[in-house]
Amino acid sequence: MTDADVIVIGSGPAGVSAAWPLAEAGRRVLMIDGAAERSPDIATPWRQMLGDRLEALQPDDGLSPKLRTPEAREVTGDFNRWSVLETDEFLPLGAMARGGLSRIWGAFVSEFDDNDLLGWPVSAEDLAPSYRAVAARIGISGSADDDMAASYGSTGELLAPPPISPTATLLLERYRATKPDKDFSLGHARNALLTADRSDRKACDLRQACLWACPRGAIYDARQDVALLRRQPNFELLDGAIANGITRVDDGWEIALATSERRLRAPKLVIAAGALGSLRLVAPLLDLTRAPLRLLNSPVMALPLLVPKRLGSAPPTQGYSLAQLGFRLAVSSLPSDYVTGGIYETAALPPSSFAARLPLGRRAATQVVRALAPALLVATVYFPGGYSANTISVQTSADGPRIRIHGGVAERFHGVARVVQGRLKKIWRALGAYALPVGELATAGTDAHYGGIFPMGGTQPHGTSRFGELNAAPGLHVVDGSVLSTIPAKFTTLTIMANADRIGRHLAGAA
Amino acid sequence: MPQRLVVTGASGYLGARFVERAQERGCEVVALGSKPPGSTIVATPWRLGEPARLTAFAGATAVVHLAHDWASDRFHGDTPGNPNLIGTEMLARAAREAGVPRFVFASTNSARPRALNAYGRIKHQTEERLRTQPRSEGRVFCARIGLVYGGPERAQYGLMSKLARLPVLPMFGLDREVQPIHIDEVCDGLLRLALDPPTDRPTAVLAGPAPVRFGAWLRTLRRGRLGKSLLLVPVPIALALKACDWSRSISFIPTVDRERVLGLAGAAPMDSAADLAALGLSLRDPMRALMQSRPARRRLIAECAALLRYVAGAPVRSPGAIIRLARVMRNDPAFRRALPSLGVRWPPLLRFVEPIRPSMGHSLARRLHLAAMVVETLPSEQARRRPGLFAVAAQLLLETLALPFRLLFGRVSA
Repeated sequence: MTDADVIVIGSGPAGVSAAWPLAEAGRRVLMIDGAAERSPDIATPWRQMLGDRLEALQPDDGLSPKLRTPEAREVTGDFNRWSVLETDEFLPLGAMARGGLSRIWGAFVSEFDDNDLLGWPVSAEDLAPSYRAVAARIGISGSADDDMAASYGSTGELLAPPPISPTATLLLERYRATKPDKDFSLGHARNALLTADRSDRKACDLRQACLWACPRGAIYDARQDVALLRRQPNFELLDGAIANGITRVDDGWEIALATSERRLRAPKLVIAAGALGSLRLVAPLLDLTRAPLRLLNSPVMALPLLVPKRLGSAPPTQGYSLAQLGFRLAVSSLPSDYVTGGIYETAALPPSSFAARLPLGRRAATQVVRALAPALLVATVYFPGGYSANTISVQTSADGPRIRIHGGVAERFHGVARVVQGRLKKIWRALGAYALPVGELATAGTDAHYGGIFPMGGTQPHGTSRFGELNAAPGLHVVDGSVLSTIPAKFTTLTIMANADRIGRHLAGAA
Repeated sequence: MPQRLVVTGASGYLGARFVERAQERGCEVVALGSKPPGSTIVATPWRLGEPARLTAFAGATAVVHLAHDWASDRFHGDTPGNPNLIGTEMLARAAREAGVPRFVFASTNSARPRALNAYGRIKHQTEERLRTQPRSEGRVFCARIGLVYGGPERAQYGLMSKLARLPVLPMFGLDREVQPIHIDEVCDGLLRLALDPPTDRPTAVLAGPAPVRFGAWLRTLRRGRLGKSLLLVPVPIALALKACDWSRSISFIPTVDRERVLGLAGAAPMDSAADLAALGLSLRDPMRALMQSRPARRRLIAECAALLRYVAGAPVRSPGAIIRLARVMRNDPAFRRALPSLGVRWPPLLRFVEPIRPSMGHSLARRLHLAAMVVETLPSEQARRRPGLFAVAAQLLLETLALPFRLLFGRVSA
């Protein structure tokens, strides 16, 4: 007796991407997710910004404004309570809610090319059909012919980019006129943001509300896919079901739930609980106590940039607060050794998130930030996962494995970061922007670009096949970020989705 | 049918709260003697030492005897003629004869044959007398109550609250251990004894299970209620008693009762954990409870308004904003530390005590950050124009002026 052909644990971007090809091929798919959708009351500004239970009214903890919204506090808070991961120098991000972390993501997307896929048992060609399918599904806008287009890839269909802010426009024009560094490119950001209406979602209307859940659904989040999947007759969603234990049985896998007595069975199991959620679920199946596991992430810094020419001008009344521009800087001659990042407008962000970092009294800091806002941008800089040095150690205890994540960066990172910052500083200056001296390296894990835990192509028991099938547990496929073999400096979500889609297609054909 | 309780001392500190609590639980209360002001309960005239009218006991489940006459202790000491002793005995007999199933007597955790003050000795003697009455088993219950705090500032708690308002306090018996218990917890314990007692505990200790030193308790009172520290100057007990005598001979200063002083000095801890468990009571953390007290709530609101005023640069007229900030602030460890009172009165002065590094570990920096988050959600703030060059320059000038003060006062604190 089975409950489905395939059970998918997790309703985030990876889960829905693996579920689509399976559902379309007529397989019976049962998806479980940790929490039903809550519709909080966001009718007044304070409810929208602080949460109707004030969940976002918390001391500044160095997180990006996006991670401090009520939605983010709720989604990640629930995960932390459930996952009981112990961490030091590492911020574990995960979600237990429908749609997973895509509810609070930055929506920046880029394809990996063969250089990015070095060390993977998968090539860009293998991923191409999946990139196409995912891009068509989620809707991506950006420029197809500027200097960043090649880096972001051209497999998927592309909508026109939204109009960028005056300050970002200034930067882009200066870049096109000067080309300050041959290793540096700048162009429109590529975002999973609709700029044309669809049947189920509306185009961005530049209302500057990106931070607090777009009411038009212009920004992709996996809940939109869950809603569409539920219209498929052979797809079932089990809401508010927290998977707590996985055991192998004769005809496949059985899942015990923390939320009910019910047990679920299927011949194939797809785990898409998010890298750290999947780690928590899979760890009890493996003996991981002997040597620590790797955990890759993308070290990231945020640098405020001041564009003096814009000082004194009126802040834009329209716009969006996802990345306006994207850039790339080659660090060395190695093709995978580069950094990327996004450039964000600050006018629509709460001033308190910046005022807390200024070495001024609070009143003065608030006034300064408000005065500077029209001339202020924030650049994020992502480094390749090879510079991260996180470890996961697992110990057995009476209540199951105790998982501890120790965060850090490689010794050589600091030197590289200094060089990169120096070069970028020069480049910003050439573009008419000045880096304020308050930028700092974010705590490891803040980026949520996790990978390398159950690496595809890895031969160890916790390695996975090119279809994410765990070496030590045949029939169990992990499809989220935890199976990425390496983490380049690029945004990873699109590739996680494409990879999950590819594995889903494989399972649909094989099952 | 609601259960009916006959209560003595209903107008006292403990009694008034007990009546409220009993009514909340659906009990019908009859006061023997005076009733709490403003209360609608039935009251029958009675005084300690007088016989009570039998009709008062009709249909009652229990008599809860909370009344105590302090003046008699002063006058009679622990002689057999003390009306507290005789009166309680008479009352218990009358209740038994009227067929009231239970008699609950409010005693003290200082009830001992050799207690320092007459109060402790009388309570002990009374307990003994009650126990020797016929059929006392399963009917008479003595609650040995510890140091009660919380609720209205009356009685012992009122006195201590008053003392803890002083920044420097000369005090005796600082090393004595006391067992604080919240007034509502005492009331719940008494109610349980009256309505559904664990029959194996004729004497139950209603007192904090972990004794604390009296000095530490006074500090907790001041910290929890006012968010301030307290400097205690130890005074020998003999000197304190002398001071009581002097206070009586000087007409224009308030009299301090020797009895109360001795009561404090003579407290010795009693084991209460098992009794509390049997009564189903788990006591709250006194610091947390005191942080909910009326002066603490007043301080919370005043501080939140001041923080918002400073961050916004103008008075914040939205009560909602103050309440939202208060809801978060009351759970923040920073709330244990009061803002400087000058800063509460003139919020722009807060600029001079802000820390140099805006670290969230600093209580003021953290509070200001929370206030700033609340301010930026206000429609008035969102509609406000971007500050001009002049306004920013003025701010930076003030910053410069404030810098030496901040170096001096902006200490790092929890």
